Amino acid sequence: MTLLQRIKSIIIGAIMIATAIMINVNLEQGYIILLFILAAGLIVAGIGSLYYYLSMGRFIVGGRMFLYRGLILIDIGSFALTLSDVPRIYVLLYLMFIHTFSGIVEILRALESRQYGARSWKLKMSHGIVNLLVVVACFIFRKYPETLVIVYSLGIAYSGVMNIISALRKRSFIYIQ
Amino acid sequence: MQEDFHYYATYCASYLAGFSHEESLDICYSAQFVDMCSRTFLSRIKAPGLAATTQLQMEMMDTVTDILGIQNITRIWASFHFLPYDLYATKPGTTKRFLNKYRLICAPNGSLVADTVKLSKNKTLQHAGIAMHVLADTWAHSYFAGTPSLAMNNTDSDFYEVIGTGDEKSDRLIKFRHNPSVPDDPEKGLYTNTIYQSDENSIMNLGHGRAGHLPDYSFIRYRYLPSWADYREILKDNPHDYRMAFDQMVYALRYLRGELDDFVTDTYDTEKTGPYRERIGAIIDKRQLLASNDWKSFGEELSGKEIVDFDLFRYQDEYVSADKDKKGETFLGKFINGALEQKGMVSKAIFDSGNILAGFFAPVVMREAK
Repeated sequence: MTLLQRIKSIIIGAIMIATAIMINVNLEQGYIILLFILAAGLIVAGIGSLYYYLSMGRFIVGGRMFLYRGLILIDIGSFALTLSDVPRIYVLLYLMFIHTFSGIVEILRALESRQYGARSWKLKMSHGIVNLLVVVACFIFRKYPETLVIVYSLGIAYSGVMNIISALRKRSFIYIQ
Repeated sequence: MQEDFHYYATYCASYLAGFSHEESLDICYSAQFVDMCSRTFLSRIKAPGLAATTQLQMEMMDTVTDILGIQNITRIWASFHFLPYDLYATKPGTTKRFLNKYRLICAPNGSLVADTVKLSKNKTLQHAGIAMHVLADTWAHSYFAGTPSLAMNNTDSDFYEVIGTGDEKSDRLIKFRHNPSVPDDPEKGLYTNTIYQSDENSIMNLGHGRAGHLPDYSFIRYRYLPSWADYREILKDNPHDYRMAFDQMVYALRYLRGELDDFVTDTYDTEKTGPYRERIGAIIDKRQLLASNDWKSFGEELSGKEIVDFDLFRYQDEYVSADKDKKGETFLGKFINGALEQKGMVSKAIFDSGNILAGFFAPVVMREAK
């Protein structure tokens, strides 16, 4: 990781932590911010898919799928921007699914890393466990609307911290000679 | 390719090319060691990690596929396992981003194969072993690229095994599954491959993972739609390719031994291998997941001596206990030097072609001593 990339990672991490705090300060507005983040994420993913289609996808077998995916994601994202009164349970279910999936993947990777004797398995394991704890928290407090916002903001804060830790980890830049 | 070809078949090729039993063992050990020399292994023996010729699954999962991660992966996999065929290939109407990956597609008889073999001339047996690994893999790994890329390495689900030849030829749909703990079943046409990942740079899209281990089996013929070929189907004839790989290895090794003056691509030895054509063909055609025992028997018949099985740790103590200034003279020290030269040569060639996917090349400027 270059110095610039490290700085970029630290800044992104700091922004994520700041966002998490901001959401928690005002839980009523937090839900709107949360929706905005979800919508923005979908639109950014849609634009990414369209960019991939234009630069690579249109030259490969089945590449048109990236065009369709991009258009649909942008469409859904734009639609989500207009929704502030969508039933919160759907957003909750979406978050639970995402965190369950990434939690299981992280734990499996951690177990594999441990099997190979890698030192980094504890960080992965803790990441996976935190993801699953988020799911459990979502389930337990599912009847409390503010919980969704708190849980999600905790997830953002955690990702921010991971970003910063990752940026500060020792890595080498290799020049071929 | 697997241990059967990189170790035992390489032994047979070396012996047929005129190397002694002991020399052949060193060459085939080095050829197989290319699949074992990971950064983790090098770290354990306190050797330079830059010399890694492969990556463990765990190492790959840990790699972030940003540009630096991709460069690290590409340096290893393009240099040793998926040697690019044409770094200046063109495809009208495509983008530079697409071409950078397209030009890394592996195929036999590219100019880099000749460069690889010639780089090993008048060097150690370890250099020769590394070159034989690279050469052999250009045949097995044709049509895939040694860089993470959905656009280059993805395959369609229309994947058929071509069984039989001539009038008795028939196609059978290959069924892929994603459980690596279950062995492939050629009789039922059940094989394991990596799961589809829509991320262009996902590590799952490295090399021939989407085609499973099919390129590693000498007996199989299959046809499929590669992602990059404009909906043109490719017929991969492994029995033919493995024969060509073997004949080309013998030819290259005769050149390295000093018996021939030049190494020219698309040239194959038939003089030394001719008498054993049927025997070699029988091993290659046999429907089995690993042909080590058959190649080993053939090798032992050729030399009349036992071919000891590959042992990853055979030369470890020699390297670890050697003085710092003498490490280069050990077996692994010579291998490491060969690996660094090969990696540097291929990576520089990729960079010189205007492609940064294998890293940046910084020429070393030697200052005159005052």
